[in-house]
Amino acid sequence: MDNTGEREVLLRVDHLCQYFRINRKHTTKAVDDVSFDIYKGEVFGLVGETGCGKTTTGRSIIKIYDITSGSVYFHGQRICAGKKSYRDAIKKAKADMKADPDNAAKYREIIRKAKEDIAAADYDQKECDKEYADKLCAGLAEKFEKDCAEAGGDTEKLAALKKQYKNDVRIAKKTRLVTKIQMIFQDPAASLNPRMTVREIISEGMTINGIKDKDYINEKVYEILETVGLVREHAGRYPHEFSGGQQQRIGIARAVVMRPDMIIADEPVSALDVSIQAQVINLLNDLRDRLGLTILFIAHDLSVVKYFSDRIGVMYYGKMVELASSDELFARPMHPYTRSLLSAIPLPDPHSEKKRVRITYNPIAEHDYTEDKPSMREVFPGHFVYCNDAEEMKYLAEFGKR
Amino acid sequence: MPDKILEVKNLKVSFRTQTGILRAVRNISFDLERGETLAIVGESGSGKSVTSKAILGILAGNSIVDSGEILYDGKDLLKISEDEMYKIRGDKISMIFQNPLSSLNPIVKIGKQLTEAMLLKNKVNRKQARKEFNTLLKRLEDNMIAACDPDDKETIAEIKNKIRTFDSFNIKSIKLANEYSDSYSAAFDLNAEIEDMLFRVSRNAPVARRDKIGGFARKIGDIKNRFLTGNREADLARYSEKLHEAKAAVTNKDTGELPADVLETLTGLKDLLESLINQEQPDFFRIGYYKMENPDADLTVYDNHELNRMSLEYLDEHFMKRFIELESAGLRHSYFGALEVKREVLAKMPEYRKYFAEAELSRSEAMSECNRISDVVERSIDRLEFIKDSAAYTFRSSLSSAIDQYFHYKKTNPKEEARFERQTAKREALIAKGRNVDWKVVPKNVLDLDEIRENMLLVIDRLTERYTRYIDESGQMDFEARSVALIDYLKARAGEVIYRLTKNMAKEKALKLMEEVGIPETRIRYYQYPFEFSGGMRQRVVIAIALAANPDILICDEPTTALDVTIQAQILELINKLKKERNLSVIFITHDLGVVANMADKIAVMYAGKIVEYGTADDVFYNPRHPYTWALLSSMPDLDTSEKLDAIPGTPPNMVYPPAGDAFAERNKYALQIDFEEQPPIFRISDTHWAATWLLHPDAPKVDIPKAITDRIARMLEREKSAGEEGGNGNG
Repeated sequence: MDNTGEREVLLRVDHLCQYFRINRKHTTKAVDDVSFDIYKGEVFGLVGETGCGKTTTGRSIIKIYDITSGSVYFHGQRICAGKKSYRDAIKKAKADMKADPDNAAKYREIIRKAKEDIAAADYDQKECDKEYADKLCAGLAEKFEKDCAEAGGDTEKLAALKKQYKNDVRIAKKTRLVTKIQMIFQDPAASLNPRMTVREIISEGMTINGIKDKDYINEKVYEILETVGLVREHAGRYPHEFSGGQQQRIGIARAVVMRPDMIIADEPVSALDVSIQAQVINLLNDLRDRLGLTILFIAHDLSVVKYFSDRIGVMYYGKMVELASSDELFARPMHPYTRSLLSAIPLPDPHSEKKRVRITYNPIAEHDYTEDKPSMREVFPGHFVYCNDAEEMKYLAEFGKR
Repeated sequence: MPDKILEVKNLKVSFRTQTGILRAVRNISFDLERGETLAIVGESGSGKSVTSKAILGILAGNSIVDSGEILYDGKDLLKISEDEMYKIRGDKISMIFQNPLSSLNPIVKIGKQLTEAMLLKNKVNRKQARKEFNTLLKRLEDNMIAACDPDDKETIAEIKNKIRTFDSFNIKSIKLANEYSDSYSAAFDLNAEIEDMLFRVSRNAPVARRDKIGGFARKIGDIKNRFLTGNREADLARYSEKLHEAKAAVTNKDTGELPADVLETLTGLKDLLESLINQEQPDFFRIGYYKMENPDADLTVYDNHELNRMSLEYLDEHFMKRFIELESAGLRHSYFGALEVKREVLAKMPEYRKYFAEAELSRSEAMSECNRISDVVERSIDRLEFIKDSAAYTFRSSLSSAIDQYFHYKKTNPKEEARFERQTAKREALIAKGRNVDWKVVPKNVLDLDEIRENMLLVIDRLTERYTRYIDESGQMDFEARSVALIDYLKARAGEVIYRLTKNMAKEKALKLMEEVGIPETRIRYYQYPFEFSGGMRQRVVIAIALAANPDILICDEPTTALDVTIQAQILELINKLKKERNLSVIFITHDLGVVANMADKIAVMYAGKIVEYGTADDVFYNPRHPYTWALLSSMPDLDTSEKLDAIPGTPPNMVYPPAGDAFAERNKYALQIDFEEQPPIFRISDTHWAATWLLHPDAPKVDIPKAITDRIARMLEREKSAGEEGGNGNG
């Protein structure tokens, strides 16, 4: 477990909050202060019951929503930034300043700092793609110069290079960092446009990114179709001509064709038959090995998550309550909600099923957070639990010996 | 003998589609016993939902039921009229669908949706029960008279008298019970409303206090039945006055705590109502008789417990003992009379069988023959048996429809033949030209005549078998017990006759039901719309609606597929609990084997419209034999799986062109040559377990169960063993 520190962090989610305002009085805290890292090349599973915010987390990461507070870093670049925490800081400082006018200078400093943070957040939220594009362009320019130097006096080659360079720059300027994260949706039939052929669906992303070469696009489409286990002839068909499993393969192809570094798979197998589920999971596993993908796997079927993921985060009502490697989590579930979740997994074993006792989780009865406030703590190396001091001692005592 | 509640025999269903006839269900048979869960497992398109829809009579318009029978309560559900089906559907057989939102009306409040069917069905049920009650009583009377000596005028008069008395005091008790239940539900309602108001006040929710308390004062007047109020009538009157005082003391705009004396009045009244509701309920069947015989007697001196005991003694002594004596004589007469005819039927059966098996059939002759047998068979039914023998009751319809079908299909269909020939010729011509033809010729729509003939014989054989067993068991009949059971049955029918459901009562019932299925804060939830519920809660509402009519059979069509793990576990536990409490029979349809391990007593694995493996849960999970079951089991990961999943390659076959051999052969790693050529017959593994695969044929090469599954089974057994040891140690 200790070697995790050496691995490259691909995506860092830092105190992410996503609130939805319902009316003047009520605000739903769909995701509330969630932090986790995803390392390059791993599968990170996110489990929890319906409405616990796991899908919202996924959608916030690829900027479908504007997040309320916190940051998301991708490749070290901040791609999402929320401002609520800074605003709260300003509000608090102003209130404090009124109460304590002597130290006004200190509070003014705090306010100034927070305002700077807000400006930075605004900039990152809007311009992260531009920065990334600039970085890409700079890289291309460097390469072009180097190539030019290599080509020497060959005018023909130079002309070709220049043409190539221009095209590349045009594409690079349109590239957005977020396209390096792609999403696979739960319901394959609903996520594919019924009026587009498979070719159009898969190539849409490339077209938007400014690729105009039809032969190139076709070749890419065929290649990716074969990668996901379909055949070339399928490119001209419409989504309704496919079975559920094949439709999900098209969804996967659409995501993978953009050569993403990361895929967010939002319940990709829940809507499929058992036998087809296995095909899709095997395909994802295969792609992960072949393309070196990092996957955020959101699901509620724990046996699938256990099978597929390296590390698992358990969410409950917007909070991350436990985070550990998958074997560790199943061997030593600590948070009572995790235990309740594990006790609900149906197994193909009638004898043990008939004896199975489902543990119910009642947060009011389980925890006493009136004085001792909980936080995310690393109880064992790599095993984080949302608990307070007393509970941490309890978990240590219970599991420490084994 | 296990009590079979539903029998599905040789069911075949196809659909007319643009591309041809799609064979959705191909010859499946199974039985469902009372209180048992049958799980039907298979992929989408395997025909499992079609089967359940056929049972409920809600197949799509383009469906054709080629053959088969679904026997329930002495009826063949495939052949009865829509009117009769209406009485069964939703009432005796209910269904829960996969997507709860699609089976709820989005613009009608939950409460309305729950009570709607209850109120609607109530009227129909009452009429039906009245009819049944009357005919059964008449039959009983006839048999009782026939049983005794025709010259014994005295006894006959006594019997007639007794039957009349039975009828009339049933009516009497009906009326008494009606009055009682009105008062009871008023008290129940009031109690709940007071509780609701106190709860709201304690939470500082806005309550129109003056109006509410005024309403309570009005409602107290409805609680006037003496069997309910007993000697507390004066107390109620006092509370009524107190409420009027309290009403003056509060206004609608008050907030905060209630004044102390008002609170005291309300809690006092609530306690009183609770004690009234929870006291022993009077048995009006007995009291009705007592009251009829002694119209002037003052019953107020007894409390309910004493009243029940006293009236029971009175009833036994003056009426019941003699009635049961006469009744069992009547039952005996009817039973042995029918038994005699049954023997007669049985003696003639081989002759009829020979006729239908061998003779050159002509329509009119066969029909008259069928009518002749059916008449005898109908005479052989003991009409006083209220558990109906399906084989005998459906004999006429089954046999005559099979004969009909035989002659219907005997005629050739020239249009169909011409089409088939035209298309075949076209296809061959194209192939001869060397073109790549990717379409197939839709086969001719003709039925196998031999098979229909086989069906006729099956009907006869089934009856023969049933009657042989019946006669064997005839010695062990306990007529005393049967007569008591019959009286109970009549009482229940009479109860249904009186059960006039008012809107208020329906609401009470709905609230109770909602509580039973685990919906919290029922009184608030009752007035909400479906979209205000979460997925799990919605599914609970659907279950509550399905249970509203107290059905015998519950069909669950993937009830948890749209729900997540914790909610799924809750819903499964709920269905299991309700099944035990109400002795429900459940047909549970799913594609997830993990889900059924906990639920199912029997499992039928379906593929391409056929049951490929059938057995108890233990058989299928610990000793699976069909390659498809293996594939299903190994394609889902469990907590210990780490190797690559064994996915089933490809997709199920298109059933417009059903394969000649085993439908699973194309996707099957273990397929033999014969699997592509011929359909496998059913191989019995044990009494409860069979599978349809050539691998079980004695000549088949030995194939081992895939290692992933044997490993898992070994792990499961190991775990159980260790758990058992731990448990043993714990006990020791």
